[in-house]
Amino acid sequence: MGVLDPLKGFGITFATMFRKVATEQYPEDYRPTEQRYHGRHQLNRHPDGLEKCVGCELCAWACPADAIFVEGGDNTEEQRYSPGERYGADYQINYLRCIGCGLCIEACPTRSLTMTNFYELANDDRQNLIYTKEQLMAPLLPGMEQPPHPMRLGEDEQDYYVNGPELARKAQEEAP
Amino acid sequence: MGLEEKLPNGILLASVEKLVNWTRKSSMWPAQFGLACCAMEMMATGATPYDLARFGMERFAATPRQADVMVVAGRVTNKMAPVLRQVYDQMSDPKWVISMGVCASSGGMFNNYAIVQGVDHVVPVDIYLPGCPPRPEMLLDAILKLHAKIMDEPLGPARARDKLESGKTTPMIPSSVKYAKDPDKLAGPRDPNGASGGIPLVEGGKR
Amino acid sequence: MTTVEETTQTPVPEGHVRLTIDGREVIAPKGELIIRTAEREGIEIPRFCDHPLLDPAAACRQCLVEVEMNGRAMPKPQPACAITISDGMVVHTQHGSEVARKAQEGVMELLLINHPLDCPICDKGGECPLQNQALRHGRAESRFRDQKRTFTKPIEVSKQVLLDRERCVLCQRCTRFSAEIAGDPFIELLERGAHQQIGTAKTADAEGWGAVTPQGQPYQSYFSGNAIQICPVGALTSAAYRFRSRPFDLVSAPSVCEHCSSGCAERTDFRRGKVMRKLAGEDPEVNEEWICDKGRFAFRYVTADDRITRPLVRENGKLREASWTEALRIAADRLAEARDNGGVGVLPGGRLTVEDAYAYAKFARISLHTNDIDFRARPHSAEELDFLTTNVLGTTPEDGVTFTGLERANTVLCVALEPEEEAPAVFLRLRKAARKAGTKVVHIGQFSTPAVDKTFGTLLACIPGEETNAVLGLREHAADVYAQLGEGGVILLGERAAEVPGLLSTVAGLARETGAQLAWIPRRAGERGALEAGALPTLLPGGRRVDDTEARAEVAAAWGLEALPELAGKDASAILTAAANGKLHGLVLGGVDPDDLPNPELAREALARAEFVVSLELRRTAVTEYADVVLPVAAAVEKSGTYLNWEGRPRPFDIAIENTGILSDCRVLDTLAVEMDTDLFTQTPQAALADLDRLGTVEPPVAQPGWTIEFEGEGPPKSPLRHGKARLATWHRLLDNGSLQDNEPHLAQTARETVVKLSTATAQGIGVGAGDPVVVSTHQGRIELPAEIADLPDGVVWLPANSGPSTVRASLGVGHGDLVDVRAGGGE
Repeated sequence: MGVLDPLKGFGITFATMFRKVATEQYPEDYRPTEQRYHGRHQLNRHPDGLEKCVGCELCAWACPADAIFVEGGDNTEEQRYSPGERYGADYQINYLRCIGCGLCIEACPTRSLTMTNFYELANDDRQNLIYTKEQLMAPLLPGMEQPPHPMRLGEDEQDYYVNGPELARKAQEEAP
Repeated sequence: MGLEEKLPNGILLASVEKLVNWTRKSSMWPAQFGLACCAMEMMATGATPYDLARFGMERFAATPRQADVMVVAGRVTNKMAPVLRQVYDQMSDPKWVISMGVCASSGGMFNNYAIVQGVDHVVPVDIYLPGCPPRPEMLLDAILKLHAKIMDEPLGPARARDKLESGKTTPMIPSSVKYAKDPDKLAGPRDPNGASGGIPLVEGGKR
Repeated sequence: MTTVEETTQTPVPEGHVRLTIDGREVIAPKGELIIRTAEREGIEIPRFCDHPLLDPAAACRQCLVEVEMNGRAMPKPQPACAITISDGMVVHTQHGSEVARKAQEGVMELLLINHPLDCPICDKGGECPLQNQALRHGRAESRFRDQKRTFTKPIEVSKQVLLDRERCVLCQRCTRFSAEIAGDPFIELLERGAHQQIGTAKTADAEGWGAVTPQGQPYQSYFSGNAIQICPVGALTSAAYRFRSRPFDLVSAPSVCEHCSSGCAERTDFRRGKVMRKLAGEDPEVNEEWICDKGRFAFRYVTADDRITRPLVRENGKLREASWTEALRIAADRLAEARDNGGVGVLPGGRLTVEDAYAYAKFARISLHTNDIDFRARPHSAEELDFLTTNVLGTTPEDGVTFTGLERANTVLCVALEPEEEAPAVFLRLRKAARKAGTKVVHIGQFSTPAVDKTFGTLLACIPGEETNAVLGLREHAADVYAQLGEGGVILLGERAAEVPGLLSTVAGLARETGAQLAWIPRRAGERGALEAGALPTLLPGGRRVDDTEARAEVAAAWGLEALPELAGKDASAILTAAANGKLHGLVLGGVDPDDLPNPELAREALARAEFVVSLELRRTAVTEYADVVLPVAAAVEKSGTYLNWEGRPRPFDIAIENTGILSDCRVLDTLAVEMDTDLFTQTPQAALADLDRLGTVEPPVAQPGWTIEFEGEGPPKSPLRHGKARLATWHRLLDNGSLQDNEPHLAQTARETVVKLSTATAQGIGVGAGDPVVVSTHQGRIELPAEIADLPDGVVWLPANSGPSTVRASLGVGHGDLVDVRAGGGE
């Protein structure tokens, strides 16, 4: 045991400071989750911006924690939010109840509701953790238009729910 | 604490306030209150890979008198509630509470006779953390948001009145955005709504 | 073995047959349908078109079973809903027979061929017989690969009923209901073959088949909601409920309808503290499975914007919100002051539960030391009071007229009662009685209303106000009706009988003379209960008379008092007159609309003049404008209680929506009484009812000749149209301006057209034709409406009492039987 032995220990500590870190450096270094991670929800849109949600409440029915509240509404020719007759007039998810099980996603008949990978939801106000429809709606991508507006993809809901992707592709090809 | 309550409001105090808050947030000792599955994630957060020591929090205390922040992790039964309250009461001021997971926050899927429907029925909660259970990153995010809150805490009643009158609240910015070296890189697969998770970063924190 | 079987066989009772279903031996009454026998045995056969209250149609073919008769199998599967059982019949259902199972699967596959897969957005999804039975009895996969039939959707069958034709399985429940039960047959099967569909003449017009079907006539019915409820798929949906919620989200509570005196059983479905819809409940003794559209659709008055949830106190001429403590203290102090200075009158209104009415009755006697209480917020008379005491009080379903009793009657005489408008459930029973049992229905009224036609009835038309003479003339001019009344006849009296002098006592005399049973059918739900609870100036609770010293002492003892006020009180008109003259200093009002009272102007004056007015109200009304203290009370869905329907049958109901924090009348009055240092013991409806039950009822007074006011005098003047004068006939319609129907735009659009009705001769006399504007006026005001020609007596005009612009009491200040001016309208 030499005189310098105690300093050796400090040496290791000091040298480690210049080594590459092995631990997660979360806030500074964000690592993506797995693609199918159950993060917060999103309500999707048709290629023309109309909402996919028809307000059927099957997600609310499937939810084991009773975290989802939906209320349907009537589409009219003047105020159209989704193709077809019915749309989700009110949509709320209470993230203080949601357990992220994804049963709502499986229940959704129109693939309107999906989950993103976003998880940094912590908040200091319970009210803010009840996400409303405006917060859950997917952003408008190029070519989309904020509802209400008439159906752009085709005449009836078949053009949306069955032929939708094809029509959208065609429309994009035709566009200059 | 006593002294700051008697001090006049001024520029000097604003800086002192920042210094005090900084010291407070820099080494918060957690009083662990693991009750269920969330406790596993809390332990994972405290373990080596996530290295909670970066925030001065490596000392998970079972001694409430030496703790500053209580992490309620898991569903709180009605039978546990008085114990929870007692532990909270035994902690020394200033003290904070993180409600970890949906069960602690609202009862979650256990909407029944046995579970307290939200731990804020028992103790004042500073940060609600959803998730079932929240992954360690989410807990870190909650801790960092609590740090931000502590940094904005007023020192003394005069400052508190000022803050209340101005209506300012601490914005709840996702930590990966707030501390990102390159925020633009974050957009994309993580969240199609953009780097902030679709949350507009407005001053005041209210969306 | 065979010998053993023979000896153990039970003998078949008279009128029964023995048959075998799925190997199980069954003895069942002759003439029963296979599907019912099987159901009673616990063997479920799927069905769509079958409904126990409708005639069999065998339209959907879903109930196919294999049937053997006399040892020989029928060549094809037979519909169980249309074949009656017979002796020695052997039935194999889908549980025991491959043939039946395959047949049912095939039918289901065919039904689903054109059925869209829109269950997620269909209102029926989750409670749909087609969904359930397709899962249980259908094939897992369809072999149909072609395009499904599509239609424009939805089309309006009426403003309240929407039809999605592609969902329809053509079971014809709706058309059969409309034709058989309601008698409003403007919904029918149209077209043939693959194009067959349900529609109305109007939808046929829309599709351009005007040449094939007759034009015009939309489907209009007071019972259209039942068609929605019995639709086994989502083809018929309610416009008001469409897309509002899903069945699995709703919380259901049994309830009782608060709209009329029939007390129909209902099911209230609510969500998040808000009623989403009401459905008909099942009660064979009362409403069977039907309710009217008003009972079904009129419930949003509870959530109206002007609903009062906090007590209001008038300060500097304006109502402001106050705490219960403050409002009650002010009310108690000022009421005590008014009581000691001049007295306080109580008008509880006719929409109370028995418990609430009892609280009012007790409050008036104990806290206000008065008998000045009258629930009759409508035209009334001293004669009516006497009639109610001697003929109505204390009747029960055991000894009085009942719904089922109507079916057994050979003749029903409706006097001054418009059953379809005033008590729809009674109308349905009358129609059923007439259709199934051949009951003869006779109406003494003014013209052939739809109800007269639909009950296959006879109209004895008379000048309004002269119903008394018509009744007196029955023996002479309608000897057959008079004779039949004696052989199991029933007389039904409506609330407007009180407006005709002498009518009530004459009818009571007729009933005594012929031995016919007599029933009084008020329009409002609470009137019968208020009568028994003693909310009248001459009656104490339990049918005790105020002028009976013993009865008074009995009640006083039960209530722990020295004595009760001895003098008989004032009736509603007298209360208001006294208040207007400044003799009464205070008024306590329940749900009362001044415009319903015999003299709206007097009522307003009384409210303005009275020094202190307390109003127990749901919403801001004409009364709250005058009230000094307004105390909010619970609506029917927010409280429990008991209605007494016109039969005298208690119709108890529980709270549907709990924890609203709104108190029922009896609780509010109890607390108010405590503030006045008296105890009502009506903290809860249960306590109030128990208190009333402890008091008990006394034998209802027997009608003695000396008691009844026999009709004397020369009778009202006869005056056909002369110098532009006509006699006014008027009564309330089911759907009108009533405040309990507010906030129901769809329902309001199904109301009948607001017109003035008059005879051809009268119309010619003033020079108008059908559709031309006619002005009906008095010195007080005028009403202008298009004319409709009807078979009224000459010199008579009819106006709806409170529909649209036709607010007879408020605008004209007159009522049924009064003289009005009539002239052609248009150019002023």
